[in-house]
Amino acid sequence: MARTDHEIPKMSKELCSRLLADLEKAKRPVLYATKCSLDNSRYDAKVGYLTPGPKKVATELNVSSVKKMSRAIFMLEILLMKLETAAVHTKRELYYISKGEIKHNPHLKPLDFADQDESDEIIDFICELLECYREDLNCYANDRGGQTYAQQLIVTETLPDGDKAVIDLSKLGTTPFQPKNRPQNLKLSSKKKIDFCLIVESEGTANTLAANGFTKRNNAILMGAQGVPSNGVRGWCKLIQDQLKVPLYFFGDLDAYTVQNIFRTLKAGSAASLIRNSDFSAPDVKFLGVLPEDIKKYDLNDYPVKENDAQEVRSLKKAQDALKNDPFFHDKRNKGLSQILKWLLANKRRCEQQAYFTVAPRDPTMPEKIIVDKIKRGEYY
Amino acid sequence: MSGVGDAHPCARCAYVLPWTHTPLTLIIIIDAIALFPLSLMFFFVSIQPMASKTEKITTSSTAEYFSKNLQQVGFSSQVKAVLTTLKEAVDNALDACEEGGILPEVTVWVEKVGPGSLKNSDQIRVKVEDNGPGIEADDVPKVFGEYLASSKFGRGRCSRGQQGIGISAATTWAQLTCAVGARVITKTSKMRKALSTLVEVDIKNNKGVLREKETIDWDREHGTSVEFLIDGRIQLNGEAGLLNYLNGTTLVNPHLTLKYHLPDTEPLTVERVSMVVPEIPPATEPHPHTLKLGEFIAHSHLFGRITVNAWLKKGFSRVHEGVIKELVQAGIKKSLLEKSVDSTSEADFKQVFTGLQNLQLMAPSTKSVLSIGEDALAKSIKRLGDIDFFSVMTRKPAICDFKPVQVEVAIARLKEKSSEAETPVQVLRFANRVPLQFDKAACAIFHSIQSVNWRTYGLVQPKDSLPQGPYIIAVSVVSPFIKFKNASKETVDASDELVEEIRRALIQAGQRLSKHIRKEDKANELEEKIRHIEQFCPILVEGLCRITKAPEIRKKRAEEGLIKLLGRDARTTEKELEEAHAILEEHQEKNLEKQKNEAEVI
Repeated sequence: MARTDHEIPKMSKELCSRLLADLEKAKRPVLYATKCSLDNSRYDAKVGYLTPGPKKVATELNVSSVKKMSRAIFMLEILLMKLETAAVHTKRELYYISKGEIKHNPHLKPLDFADQDESDEIIDFICELLECYREDLNCYANDRGGQTYAQQLIVTETLPDGDKAVIDLSKLGTTPFQPKNRPQNLKLSSKKKIDFCLIVESEGTANTLAANGFTKRNNAILMGAQGVPSNGVRGWCKLIQDQLKVPLYFFGDLDAYTVQNIFRTLKAGSAASLIRNSDFSAPDVKFLGVLPEDIKKYDLNDYPVKENDAQEVRSLKKAQDALKNDPFFHDKRNKGLSQILKWLLANKRRCEQQAYFTVAPRDPTMPEKIIVDKIKRGEYY
Repeated sequence: MSGVGDAHPCARCAYVLPWTHTPLTLIIIIDAIALFPLSLMFFFVSIQPMASKTEKITTSSTAEYFSKNLQQVGFSSQVKAVLTTLKEAVDNALDACEEGGILPEVTVWVEKVGPGSLKNSDQIRVKVEDNGPGIEADDVPKVFGEYLASSKFGRGRCSRGQQGIGISAATTWAQLTCAVGARVITKTSKMRKALSTLVEVDIKNNKGVLREKETIDWDREHGTSVEFLIDGRIQLNGEAGLLNYLNGTTLVNPHLTLKYHLPDTEPLTVERVSMVVPEIPPATEPHPHTLKLGEFIAHSHLFGRITVNAWLKKGFSRVHEGVIKELVQAGIKKSLLEKSVDSTSEADFKQVFTGLQNLQLMAPSTKSVLSIGEDALAKSIKRLGDIDFFSVMTRKPAICDFKPVQVEVAIARLKEKSSEAETPVQVLRFANRVPLQFDKAACAIFHSIQSVNWRTYGLVQPKDSLPQGPYIIAVSVVSPFIKFKNASKETVDASDELVEEIRRALIQAGQRLSKHIRKEDKANELEEKIRHIEQFCPILVEGLCRITKAPEIRKKRAEEGLIKLLGRDARTTEKELEEAHAILEEHQEKNLEKQKNEAEVI
């Protein structure tokens, strides 16, 4: 659940007050954070995304943890200052800001971070303690993925000073709209009824479809996911789903990584981000393809998984684990997806989304025709 | 083409190398060197081209062979030549003192006297003087100038020298590179004056020749001084350095007082830490399972006219009346056992030999091995430098590959530890109390050290490597029959049984060492915790107060509370440290008591 700018300072003060009170009584303070892992993940198809279970990670203040806690309070103080001034930073910048603070106050030298991994870990720890998103602390990652094309979509953005910016995507020409990592500040509306939203795994293929007139011929939103969806893409899809109430379809490769990692994260979130899946997943999104049956139907070029490719072998292993332990794939409503994983494990073959171009090599709109046809026929999971 | 085997004059030759047309020297060795000293015999057969198509076969002396193959006995490089010369002279001195029951006092001089005759070499003077019993005048040419003339040859005892090759090889090297043999001064307690002479090797006839022989006054009751002028290069430091050799020698000879004069270093005296001259246990008779058929038959020739039955019982260990009965039950005729050995045919010998091999005999006796002892090792290891702590382990004698072996291990941590944290530990290898300094990768000792998981005992160890840190791991293997990989005795053969025996000794020493390391870890942990409390308490409380805008009074209370809290943690560690300390003290007390008891028994 996203926290407001007012909630974070209040919660932080409460947390610090509790710590201080415990210390005054020489009582050992204990901090509880949600355990973000698959074994603490719950999936209910009615909810639509992975939610945290009851497990908490307790950090008790002792000689071993005093350094981590001191660092957390030090970083929290920096983040609160940034929130107060509405300053926005990346994790890398926060690492250097903390170094600068220590440089100007040698008394803080024991807290110094040896590298960015150490400061990142502390920022994540603060998020888990406050059960908030990194973005709630004004700490943003680079915007990546989610380039969107549409002729009917209008985005209204509330700026930090309260002004509103209205963006008509049909006026952007060939330039796509890039959603922010915190899309909750955006309001969506449409000039005309939108029939569906197509999310394409490959950004390049999404650009090709747009350039060949996909959005001119269809009342649709076209988006490039650029691999594993970033927070921005995930939040943006959720926004489209909730505010426009249009069906969403995902079009990507037929391989274990795409199904188990990319699509599952887009649809139901991930175990590592249990506390923010509610705002960063789009449970209505459907897997349009490439489907195993498409290979035969369209005579697509597929090829065997390379046994010496460590990444592909790892993906298959993860798929096996997912079938065993991931509550998402256990749910009967996602049976179609688990069947695809089983097919991939059994056949050890993969087929790329670009294989649709082999169907009619001289017709650049053929992939579009197949996609639209599949949507009409309901060939998706 | 005629076969050399057909023409060979020696009927005892077991192996015949393939014949070729080119002139060459064939070396035919009947038995493996040093494995069973009874039968070490060399035959050198040269095939000389003649005017006619047939070629003449000549024999060469042992000295001739070694003079052409000195690299096989440790003279393969100029650095090794200096070390080997020193090593052979010191080994002889120590063996002589021990034989005479004398506490050894050895003085060593190594110095550069000018440019050498070989390219890029120096002329080096190596002189070793001891207080041993001295050498009778008649024996001097044999000791320093004749190959395979040894008082220890074939005795199956744990002496340093075994074959009588080393010191003669040093004389040969001096003779070949500087045209001067070994300058020897020696005096026994019976002699009124000392004998001073120059010993040279008559290479053609394998005989020692004395030159410039004279009697001189010598200010000591008995002893020997030997001096070589050789070509070589001096290397002081590193694994192959002279200092490493001298340090190693002092470690495994606690009863030795060693004085040395080396270039670029101050003369140094390392005093003895033990007043006990180690007594080399007498040899035991060979065990039938350690022999080959040829050796078995050759062994019978030492006993003259006695019956096979008596020979078996007298000439071998672990063969008694019960074994003879079992032999009979196994099908050996009684009449054969009653025959005299000198009238027994080879077929009969083979029958008895096979019968014995098929019987389950008791393992060979372990009485013939010699140990340095944990007490002496513990005292001696302190002579290696500034030691933080150490552990020593003397295993009980064991049988490996049918040979008695005793393994001893000493591990010490040097005080200067910060600079050497990531370098591999220093390994000192010893075979029969002689340091081994070359070809470590193939050595059983090296394999054993690598096979132990040292991380369990608190040492840093990369995978499949030596552990790291400022440690010295010294491993001594003592056996009357050490299986070396080469004639220069640089590497102990890594048989599975021996590696396992050494490994066990290392594990036990590691366990003892870990008590020290654990105590140190606990002390470090406590220090770290106290440092943490001092550093982070004020920072944490100040941060909390700034965020909550708490007044000064709350800050003070919180600081006191936090110190109280973390102080409890520190006290827990303090308690753990005390426990570790108590465990170590208890272990040390036990050791002390054990040593006292042993001393009383002695």
